[in-house]
Amino acid sequence: MPPTEPRGAEAREARLAWWMTGPAVLTILLVALFPLGWTIWESLHLHDLRMPWLGRPFVGLDNYVEVLQDRRFWDSMAHTVWFAVVSVSLELVVGCALALAMNRTFRGRTLVRLSILIPWAIPTVVAALVWRFMFEGLEGWLAHDLKAWVPIILADAWKETPFVALLLLAGLQGIDPSLYEAARIDGASSWRQFRHVTLPLLAPAIMVALIFRTMNAFRVFDLIYVLTGGGPGTATEPISLYTFNSLMQNLRFGYGSTLSVLVFLVTFGLALGYIRLLGRGLTETRA
Amino acid sequence: MRDQSRWATLVIAALVLAVAFPFYRAVAGSLTPEAQLFGGAPLWPDPPVLYHYRALFTERQFWLPIRNSLIVAGTTTLFCVTLGSLCAYALARLRFRGKTLLLGAILAVSMFPQIAVVSPLFLLLRSLRLINTYPGLVLPYLTFAMPLTVWLLVGYFRQLPAELEEAAMVDGASRFRAFREVIVPLALPGLAATAILTFVYSWNEFLFALSFTLGPERQTVPVAIALFRGQYQVPWGQVLAAAIVATAPVALLVLAFQRRIVQGLTAGAVKG
Amino acid sequence: MIRRPGRWAVGGLGLLCALGCGPESTGGPTTVTVSGSVLGAEGQILRRQLERFDREHAEIRVEMRPTPDAADLRHQLYVQWLNARATDPDILQVDAIWTPEFAAAGWILPVDRYASDTADFFPVTIDANRWQGRLFAMPWFVDVGMLYWRTDLFSEAPRTWDALDREVRGAIADGTPRYGLVWQGARYEGLVTVFVEYLGGFGGRILDGGRVTVAEEPGVRALTLMRDQIHRIGVVPGRVLTWHEEEPRFAFQNGEAAMMRNWPYAAGPMQDTAESKVAGRFAVAPMPAGPGGHPTAAFGGAQLAINAFSPEAEAAWLVIDYLTRPEQMLERAQLVGQFPTRTASYDDPALAHALEIPPAQAREIIEAAVPRPVTPVYTQLSEILQIQLHRALSRQAEPRDALARAAAEMQELLDRVGLGRGDVAAD
Repeated sequence: MPPTEPRGAEAREARLAWWMTGPAVLTILLVALFPLGWTIWESLHLHDLRMPWLGRPFVGLDNYVEVLQDRRFWDSMAHTVWFAVVSVSLELVVGCALALAMNRTFRGRTLVRLSILIPWAIPTVVAALVWRFMFEGLEGWLAHDLKAWVPIILADAWKETPFVALLLLAGLQGIDPSLYEAARIDGASSWRQFRHVTLPLLAPAIMVALIFRTMNAFRVFDLIYVLTGGGPGTATEPISLYTFNSLMQNLRFGYGSTLSVLVFLVTFGLALGYIRLLGRGLTETRA
Repeated sequence: MRDQSRWATLVIAALVLAVAFPFYRAVAGSLTPEAQLFGGAPLWPDPPVLYHYRALFTERQFWLPIRNSLIVAGTTTLFCVTLGSLCAYALARLRFRGKTLLLGAILAVSMFPQIAVVSPLFLLLRSLRLINTYPGLVLPYLTFAMPLTVWLLVGYFRQLPAELEEAAMVDGASRFRAFREVIVPLALPGLAATAILTFVYSWNEFLFALSFTLGPERQTVPVAIALFRGQYQVPWGQVLAAAIVATAPVALLVLAFQRRIVQGLTAGAVKG
Repeated sequence: MIRRPGRWAVGGLGLLCALGCGPESTGGPTTVTVSGSVLGAEGQILRRQLERFDREHAEIRVEMRPTPDAADLRHQLYVQWLNARATDPDILQVDAIWTPEFAAAGWILPVDRYASDTADFFPVTIDANRWQGRLFAMPWFVDVGMLYWRTDLFSEAPRTWDALDREVRGAIADGTPRYGLVWQGARYEGLVTVFVEYLGGFGGRILDGGRVTVAEEPGVRALTLMRDQIHRIGVVPGRVLTWHEEEPRFAFQNGEAAMMRNWPYAAGPMQDTAESKVAGRFAVAPMPAGPGGHPTAAFGGAQLAINAFSPEAEAAWLVIDYLTRPEQMLERAQLVGQFPTRTASYDDPALAHALEIPPAQAREIIEAAVPRPVTPVYTQLSEILQIQLHRALSRQAEPRDALARAAAEMQELLDRVGLGRGDVAAD
């Protein structure tokens, strides 16, 4: 229990807090506010750069209505959700296993840790090229509307699992070993130790991993662009590729911005969900 | 106990092999003569050649983008860890209003698709005359790398027992000094993880680097590799060689930091 | 009181700014920036030509700005710069299908008042660069789709699709080479260029004024043939459906394909005896035709345009004019194998040694070239078409239905933006 403090100390604490959060927040505001505001503002206008004679009229939510009736939007959303669910689950499970493995002391662990982290260090475009290189020779994978997902998900898992493992490893390091000791003394098996000691204490790290991995899975672009280009047809097209097409290929800035805002809303909603589920008391100080 | 070790060893071995295989193919590819690289490159080149690597530095001056990437990624990491840890500590430990809002806002920023943000960001940086400069990359990278840093460290700081700072403060130190001298050393594993994450993000980032730089004096490694591509042709050998070379600094960083990351808390602090 | 780290941060950022900010431009000669392909041999030849230009024009200095050769990336950068009204680069190397798009957006200048000798160029190259009657870019070099065929397997190039199917089936019956005819079948622009050639071979067009005609009988026959060649007749391998330009080239170059449809760039590498198994054993011909059509080549290549926001339009024109002169075009042909866009060049005996294929044949193919629809919304039309073409080829849909669907969407788009039937703006 913290000792009771006079009111002046509280105000001082608040002031210190603002100084400490200030630089980070200011940087973010300076750089992000304009682009984000601009994107939201654009999404409320009809703005097609190919046809300046149409002007840039304010159309309110018309773009949103159009998007929600766009079959290709729903398809690409479905692809993205499917991709996110499968790849993030895979990465979480494998990442957890890797983190537990890396947490132990054994010979050659430096080499193991190094080799596990390397895929993640390679630029995504290059990693995608390498995977494409590997699957190209095999008949019928990249050109098949369902099977093409296999190299995509494998490539993503290969690339991103180390990130998850690293996050979970840092989290594992924060767990007090004496807790395991106590559990072992009480006769708990390693599985029960995992379920009742590790998992609950790892929840914050898992949550961060989930949020950021999901967020990035929703924004997957380079990987699929290089591996299948969204094909065959549009069978593997994720929402970010559709947004890229709208913005940069078709120069439909209003429409593309609308797609972006929707992606943001979905991702944010998911993040809120995760926080509610796993992150109770994230900002409360420990009693 | 023994069962556990055997299971763990098998899992590790299998995973390491699975993970290393594509990387191995990349290395083998970078040593393969160009003509053999297509349509089923052999598992090991015969004969292995070094001219791809040589071409990187003679034909393409690859050291330039490496220098640029090091500067940008290094600076971003430095600022990100510093500013981020300050912010995270305040969120984890201090009491003030608007915490949830702040956390939410910081997170929200990185949820917009990059491609949407590129155009207005270009306009913004242009008006600040920061196109084709180092700060012109560091600032956007900071903005998009900070959310992960803050969120990770908030969780990390929260786990540390509050008694630690209180002990220091009772001894007369200010809250900030307690942070600097007590918490930071203990949080090194988390800080190291954050540093690596930020560094790798900045090192590999492509879209912003492509859009906000104009020439080889400021272009980073991923952009340089993308520029290897001809209209139709991909000089595979050089691309793979460049990828290997580009991975080296990150590998070194990981090597240097990995012990920090997995270092446990000292017994004294925990029992406290 | 700013804590120490804060002070360092501010100071550090300031230092970075001072160190990092780009150099200021100086007064003196006018500087013109060219954005285009600066890779390898192309880059070298461009640099050399620009240096010659610099020497002849003391008051103008030309700089090159490297942009990615990958079309999507270059397009994206241009969109970004031009949308931000950037004043440089002054000269843009533009793909064949971008001119109407940039012209309609007001991003490039009409060059009619500068260009006096457009009659010297192939009509198709000029027409493809016109929007609403005005010329917006100068043709620099031309790419056309061609049929590459093995001279050791066939005595002459087939002129009809039936002949091609028959001959190729015979040639690959014993298992070598592995593939019959290979082309670009992935879901991207290249697929449309291949389709355009089959389509022309049956006498069809994608667009007629503002009316979409791709779903009419010639289109159905063309797409059905393409699909059947993969799945029924068996002369085209199924894996072309993920192939871009390089995969067929390597297949042909390694002796694994009897015929290939590709752009002129492939000829050079394939004549390299060190790397190619078919050096000296292949020739080029126009694509075959079906009943009711004529041999067609898809028109591609590069043109040079002037940035509408450039303050140095006059100087930029001088550079463009220089680069598109016959001497420069001949030099490019000699050193990089790119086809000139001027008709007179093909009468020049010096060209015969420069190109991998006889100039007369190149000329014949260029004259059979057909541009893709010249409209600002071409990319979107193409996307719609690509998707349906690929679906039909991968047997997710019947050709007739796929084309009908594509045509409906394409027409709806054109009508919606005022470029459809009966609209004045349509070209």
